[in-house]
Amino acid sequence: MTKPDSIVFVVDDDPSVRRAIKRLIASEGLQVELFGSAQEFLQGWRPDAPSCLVLDIKLPGISGLDFQRQLAEADIRIPIIFITGHGDIPMTVRAMKAGAVEFLTKPFRDQDLLDAIELALERDRTRRQEESEIAELRERFESLTPREQEILPLVVSGRPNKQIAAELGTSEITIKVHRGSVMRKMQAEYLADLVRMAGRLRLPVGQLSSNRTSSSAQ
Amino acid sequence: MISANAAMTGSYDYSEVARSVLIAIAASYAALDLAGRVTAASGRVRLAWLMGGATAMGIGIWAMHIKGMLAFHLPVPVEYHWPTFLASLLVAILASAVALYVASRQEMRAVEALTGSLIMGSGIAGMHYMGMAAMRLPATTQFSRLLVTFSVLFAILFSLVALLMAFDLREETRWTVPRRLGSATVMGLAVSAMHYTGMAAASFIPASPPDLSHAVSISPLANNGIAMVTLIVLVAAMVTSSVDRRAAAGVQQLNQELERRVAERTLELEAVNRALRREIAEREQAEEALRRSEDRLRLVIDTLPAMVWSKSPEGSADFLNQRFREYTGLSLEEGLGWGWMMNAFHPEDRAEEEWRAAFAAGEPFEKEARLRQADGAYRWFLLRGVPLRDELGHVVKWYGTSTDIEDRRRAEEALQEAQDKLAHVTRAVAMGELAAAIAHEVNQPLTAIVTNANFSLRQLKGSTANLDELRTAITEIVNDGTRASAVISRIRGLLVKGSPRRTELDINEIIQEVITLLRNELSRNRVSLRTDFASNLPRVPGDPVQLQQVLINLILNAIEAMRTSTDRTRELRIRSAKNADGILVQVQDSGPGIKPELAGGIFEPFFTTKADGIGMGLSIARSIIESHGGQLSLVPVSQGALLQFTLPVISNDAS
Repeated sequence: MTKPDSIVFVVDDDPSVRRAIKRLIASEGLQVELFGSAQEFLQGWRPDAPSCLVLDIKLPGISGLDFQRQLAEADIRIPIIFITGHGDIPMTVRAMKAGAVEFLTKPFRDQDLLDAIELALERDRTRRQEESEIAELRERFESLTPREQEILPLVVSGRPNKQIAAELGTSEITIKVHRGSVMRKMQAEYLADLVRMAGRLRLPVGQLSSNRTSSSAQ
Repeated sequence: MISANAAMTGSYDYSEVARSVLIAIAASYAALDLAGRVTAASGRVRLAWLMGGATAMGIGIWAMHIKGMLAFHLPVPVEYHWPTFLASLLVAILASAVALYVASRQEMRAVEALTGSLIMGSGIAGMHYMGMAAMRLPATTQFSRLLVTFSVLFAILFSLVALLMAFDLREETRWTVPRRLGSATVMGLAVSAMHYTGMAAASFIPASPPDLSHAVSISPLANNGIAMVTLIVLVAAMVTSSVDRRAAAGVQQLNQELERRVAERTLELEAVNRALRREIAEREQAEEALRRSEDRLRLVIDTLPAMVWSKSPEGSADFLNQRFREYTGLSLEEGLGWGWMMNAFHPEDRAEEEWRAAFAAGEPFEKEARLRQADGAYRWFLLRGVPLRDELGHVVKWYGTSTDIEDRRRAEEALQEAQDKLAHVTRAVAMGELAAAIAHEVNQPLTAIVTNANFSLRQLKGSTANLDELRTAITEIVNDGTRASAVISRIRGLLVKGSPRRTELDINEIIQEVITLLRNELSRNRVSLRTDFASNLPRVPGDPVQLQQVLINLILNAIEAMRTSTDRTRELRIRSAKNADGILVQVQDSGPGIKPELAGGIFEPFFTTKADGIGMGLSIARSIIESHGGQLSLVPVSQGALLQFTLPVISNDAS
């Protein structure tokens, strides 16, 4: 369960609470970083490791919920565990809809917090894994020539080489060469591998006109 | 005279004859004149005129005879038997009386005329021959029958003519006097003619001397005396007649004038009467119109959708319209005077002093009161009064209306209630925020404590406890516990120390302001308020807002306590009094009271018996009172709850 490379960020304006939480989490072998405000957290960012954020709803300057939205807008996709002194249902619903992992009312049970942290870290770890894989695939895709990038969606759509050659106005043999090059550069052993890769990259499948330039994964 | 043999021849003294004729004429005139007088008079006056006239006329006729006889001279001495002579005068007077009587009657028919003339003629003739019979001379008298008859007929005829003339001439006209003169002349001549005919009928034969007893001779002096007396009598009669006639004429003229005036006056009066009748008719019409207009007005006043009244300057009602009677079900008598208040108002609204003051002030007013409907229900009315003043500015009457404002008032109350509710919600929200703030403030140390405690437990469970960390955690637990307590104290302090203002204030005024603020709350919860304020309370230094806050808190608590009781009357009593070093205020409700076991805790923070309370009210109130140097305490009572606070005159400024 302990992953030395995981890190837990705690943002609470009350130093006493911060310290207590740190003590508890650290006793579980997790690295803990403490911040007194949302601003400090943003400035202190961030080691590239699986992490999560324990966030007090009531913060100086900004509410935890608004801060959650700000992070999402900045594409900082860190799992959030909310802690609050006085939570109500609408607040909880809003937080959970926005992707919060858990919503805990102070004073919380220690195990609840630790479970939530574990879940959050696991979620972040998975996300990070996926993100790095997609980045790798994108790198490979970017290494294709424009012609190869053009051919790839047509290949994964299951069209035979002959038809692709006809559509692109070239010879079947040329297509066959390009196709071999794509499979190699994308490190795909089988066509099925290539299809899965195209899916993860969210490439538009089987279209001619729009894949002159590759669309970036969102 | 015809017998030639032996008859004495007599001769006439013609001057005497002429005088006799004159007397005859004068007597005739007198007779005609007197006939008019007798006619004009009536009753006793008439009788007097008749007798006087007859006497004068008789004397005249008689005197004419004497004259005529004395005018005849015989060659022998002649004496007269005087009794016979006087009797002849009496006959003349009687004959005259008959003549006057007949001629002066209202009408004269032929029978009367004939009878009268017969009597009169006979009388005159009788008188003549009686005069002749009175003669005493030495001769015998022989009469010619023819001439005697003739003379008698002549006398009767003359009498008839005289009567007719007299009748005809008795009315006074312009031509009466000349005509009378003419008639009198004719009559006088006729009388004379008759006389001298009678004289001519006699002839005297000389004989032995007569019996001269009772006989006198008439001297020329006596003869003239008779003539003079006669004339005087006749003239006197005529003068009297004339004066009387004038007087009568004057009276008549006056009468005519009077009649004319009366006629004129009558005409005038008739004109006036006509005008009066017209005026009366017009007035009746006007009155009818007025009555109709009055009826219309009354109808308007009675059917107006408002009560209309008029009252004396002091406020005693003298008119109440139909609406009032219909609404209240009272008779007019029950509403008059002060009945409009005593019999119609809600007992709580019968503020007679207040009303009397309003009327005494003499200014238009608007006041509200509940009026009892005929079925016993009460509705709110707005009473508006306006004074009517005389030229000196004194109020002579009040006019006004009472308008039903129950619905409006209900709407207002509903609105007020809605506003109150909103205020409650706002207050609740504020309370919620306060609670959140408190929760946050207290929760932080609690969270730290719980977390640290959990950590400690975990450490203790494990085999390798980090003792340093454990010690630190427990130390922090203690610190956070202390901190939590400090938070509570701070919050209390925060709530109390709003605005430490100190002014010299009148606590009764403050209480009154709070009652005004909470009046709606009281009435909505049907709580009746009894106040007992001591007058001449010393002014105490204090913060009016904070003290109001305390009072509001105490009163709202009291109202809330009574809300649960349905069987008891809900009565709130507020009392102010003087105590040893300042003032004392008590607020008591008639609710279920405070259980003795809870009594100790009610001033502690967060103590509450209310589902939605936070338990800060009395705690804060106590802090406020203590900051004023006073004390807030619960006084044990048998029923309800009694809270009191004191405020010293000299503040020790404990805040």
